[in-house]
Amino acid sequence: MRAVRAELAKLGTLPSVWLAGALALVVPAGIALLNSRVPGPDRGYQELGFGVMGVIVLGVVAVSSEYLTEGADAGGGRQLATSLTAVPSRVRFLAAKAAAVVLVAVPLAFAATAATMGIVHVTLAERAAALDAGRLAGVVCYWTYTALLAFAITVLLRHGIVPLTVLLVNTSVVSVTFLLTKVTPLAYYFPDMAGMRMFVGEIADDRVVISPLLGLLVMSAWVAGLLALAGAVFTRRDA
Amino acid sequence: MWFRRPAGWLGGVITIDGLVKRRGGKEILAGVGFEARPGRVTGFLGPNGAGKSSTLRILLGLDRAHSGTALVDGVPYTRLADPVRTVGAVLDGSGAHRSRTGRAHLRWVARSAALPLSRVDEVLALVGLTDAAAKRVGGYSLGMGRRLALATALLGDPSVLVLDEPLNGLDPEGIRFVRTFLRERARSGRTVLLSSHLMGELAETVDDVVVIDRGRIVASGTLAEVTGEHRNLEDAFFALTSGSGR
Repeated sequence: MRAVRAELAKLGTLPSVWLAGALALVVPAGIALLNSRVPGPDRGYQELGFGVMGVIVLGVVAVSSEYLTEGADAGGGRQLATSLTAVPSRVRFLAAKAAAVVLVAVPLAFAATAATMGIVHVTLAERAAALDAGRLAGVVCYWTYTALLAFAITVLLRHGIVPLTVLLVNTSVVSVTFLLTKVTPLAYYFPDMAGMRMFVGEIADDRVVISPLLGLLVMSAWVAGLLALAGAVFTRRDA
Repeated sequence: MWFRRPAGWLGGVITIDGLVKRRGGKEILAGVGFEARPGRVTGFLGPNGAGKSSTLRILLGLDRAHSGTALVDGVPYTRLADPVRTVGAVLDGSGAHRSRTGRAHLRWVARSAALPLSRVDEVLALVGLTDAAAKRVGGYSLGMGRRLALATALLGDPSVLVLDEPLNGLDPEGIRFVRTFLRERARSGRTVLLSSHLMGELAETVDDVVVIDRGRIVASGTLAEVTGEHRNLEDAFFALTSGSGR
């Protein structure tokens, strides 16, 4: 428990985590505001699907901050050495960090959902889709899983720039995973494409039907697999 | 422990035995072994690249050895019940993230070991960083970063201090501070193990000397034993390492 408390304290004192929090609230709510003239069954949910940038930043910086090297003239140290001398069990350290990321991601998802759906209901009034507890739970689950995916990938790469760029671009500018679905229907089983089915009914011209439950299972498998891989690599390599 | 502990015994015997470490097909450590005992400052000396940092990182559980053991009171670091209260470590730089303040850094370390947060201000005062506590670490000078690392190591008031090149980059005042401080720690019965490639700076600070060269221990003993016939520690060092540090 004290390891989790330490990890929460680390997140709370990192400026980029506050930026992540701001992004998590502003991005989906902002897109919802821009889309406010267009009613539809997925209004709000779609924005929350694209708006996961905040938790991507959260998952990445939680790990990359450990690997950030101080400048050579500052001695070239890394926080990871301090972390692992304080909590020497690699498994315990990584589990505590993942738990802290979840403990931040879940309330962020709730707040972002409330803000986004609030805007949708105010702007669309009675034309807004009715709130559905199952789909809303799907949003929170998708956000938390996305943070953990970003977390696990950064553990494997030991650097924040690449996962941050790739994951952010994929959710915002060009969805690589979405484009891949044009090449092979297997791409619908990428974690983001499958996970989004938990709450988005229709993904543009989709040819593969994935139920919300299957979406949950597929994304769960991705998250579990990547976390296990990250854990296995992290416990074996030199810090 | 099989022997009787004297009154005031704090523990903290470091026992390193037969460490072998290879990296990229190259043998970095070829059977490194020595001991560091309570109440003494042990200087771990060697030229750059001799294997000092690798040995200390293995001792602290950060890197893995291919074979051999590195123990604190008979236990590997990673299995210590309360590492922060047992061993304090000073490695490269400050060991802190640059966008956090010095105080915030110390607070998370204190939390990880369930130490009272009042310790944070105590160690800040101890190393003379109280005035810079609210500044971000990115704005610290090299010397301030080193002081923060020392403060971190002291949070749990450990019986063992392990320091990798603690004098690197310090101004004369900082060097004097660290030397006096480490002598005091040893006088209070604690174990101090520090590595350095600066011989001259160390002769007045250390009780015991371990010399490493190209992954092998080439001498170990008290300062007098290792200095031997030579004029001083520095001469002994260059004779032992055949000047490979130059």
